[in-house]
Amino acid sequence: MTCVDVELECDAFVDHELDLASRTALQDHLLDCRECRQRVDDRVALGRLVRSLPYHTAPDNLRARVLAPATRRRFRRMPTLAAAAVLILSVGGGAALLRSPSMGGTSGVDVVAADIVDGHVRSLMVDHLLDVQSTDQHTVKPWFAGKLDFSPPVRDLASSGYPLAGGRIDYLSKRPVAVLVYRRQQHPISVFVWPAAERELLPLTWSTRGFHVKHWIQGGMSFWIVSDLNDAELSGFVRSLQASQ
Amino acid sequence: MPPRAFDDTIPPHLDAAFNYARWLTGNDADAEDVVQDACVRALRFFGARREGDARAWLFTIVRNTWYSRVARRGRARDATSIEDTSGEPADVALDPEALLLQQQAVVRVRSALEQLPSEFREVIVLREIEGLSYKEIAAVIQAPIGTVMSRLARGRDRLASALRQAPTLVGHLR
Repeated sequence: MTCVDVELECDAFVDHELDLASRTALQDHLLDCRECRQRVDDRVALGRLVRSLPYHTAPDNLRARVLAPATRRRFRRMPTLAAAAVLILSVGGGAALLRSPSMGGTSGVDVVAADIVDGHVRSLMVDHLLDVQSTDQHTVKPWFAGKLDFSPPVRDLASSGYPLAGGRIDYLSKRPVAVLVYRRQQHPISVFVWPAAERELLPLTWSTRGFHVKHWIQGGMSFWIVSDLNDAELSGFVRSLQASQ
Repeated sequence: MPPRAFDDTIPPHLDAAFNYARWLTGNDADAEDVVQDACVRALRFFGARREGDARAWLFTIVRNTWYSRVARRGRARDATSIEDTSGEPADVALDPEALLLQQQAVVRVRSALEQLPSEFREVIVLREIEGLSYKEIAAVIQAPIGTVMSRLARGRDRLASALRQAPTLVGHLR
């Protein structure tokens, strides 16, 4: 890869839109080229500046107007749309209710949640639940060092009934992420962790194919947990994990 | 039967819709009007909505609402041509000693972004502030991904050069 290629692909690189091969080639080039490193750093700094701008939230009166009965009446006056709405409710209503309260990062929340479940299922299918198998947080945490560009918070929750089983690396939303694995009886719980995107999402709960997904942001980290554990015990796990941070 | 599906889909994205509209229009009053009109349109077209990202879908409607308004008003100022290079940052009247450096930075960055032609401004807002993927941005602005990429690159180049002229930001950029 040449400096001209980097110039062309710099934006896609910082936006995590490059495929893995191009990304790797570009990273290799950056190791040897100070000028291109500067170019990339400048782009990253520019993005940070833009994201530091205050967010324009919708004024309350606008929210009230949008949700006002007058707006609704327009809706009800349209019979074909009302029928369409009924259809949506009966067919897709469940999905709509599960829809997340907010979106963020580079993908929609639904997409991330589905990827999380896929990652968890895949790890069970190919027996790749763990790359490092240890109940000791002091073994698991250093294992991640050097493999990730952030340090995931590793806590043992054995005293709460959720012993640590180990960790692995997964690739999600176009970036490598840490996965901590805990167990409750025979149920593995995967905890996906990576540095949170700039905007906070509301906590989220999602269920699909018998798996429950829970998400929140804490201490600058985005937490996504997935398990086939029942909802009550999984909520207990979430509380213990949140309290340990 | 209340339109529950609409209520579950649109209100959560109202802040994002307003933020995008605010960047498109440049002022609160227009942004509020555009979002309100967009929500009425969203209600009307809700049944025809394809499955997918509701937020990006709402952005598309906000954008179309705004540009059709601009066209009606014939306000060339709001739809700065992509060829227009008169992008000198406005001289922001502020007392440097009265503001913290961070506040200055915010004012400068906001001003520089506001001065960008809308074609560049909106892709930067959608990417950096709203975190949309290239594919999602392409859907919102109804253009090929290649256009998204080139506008992002050119827009960022312009933004960076505008900010380099602002001495307080040199430390942030270099």
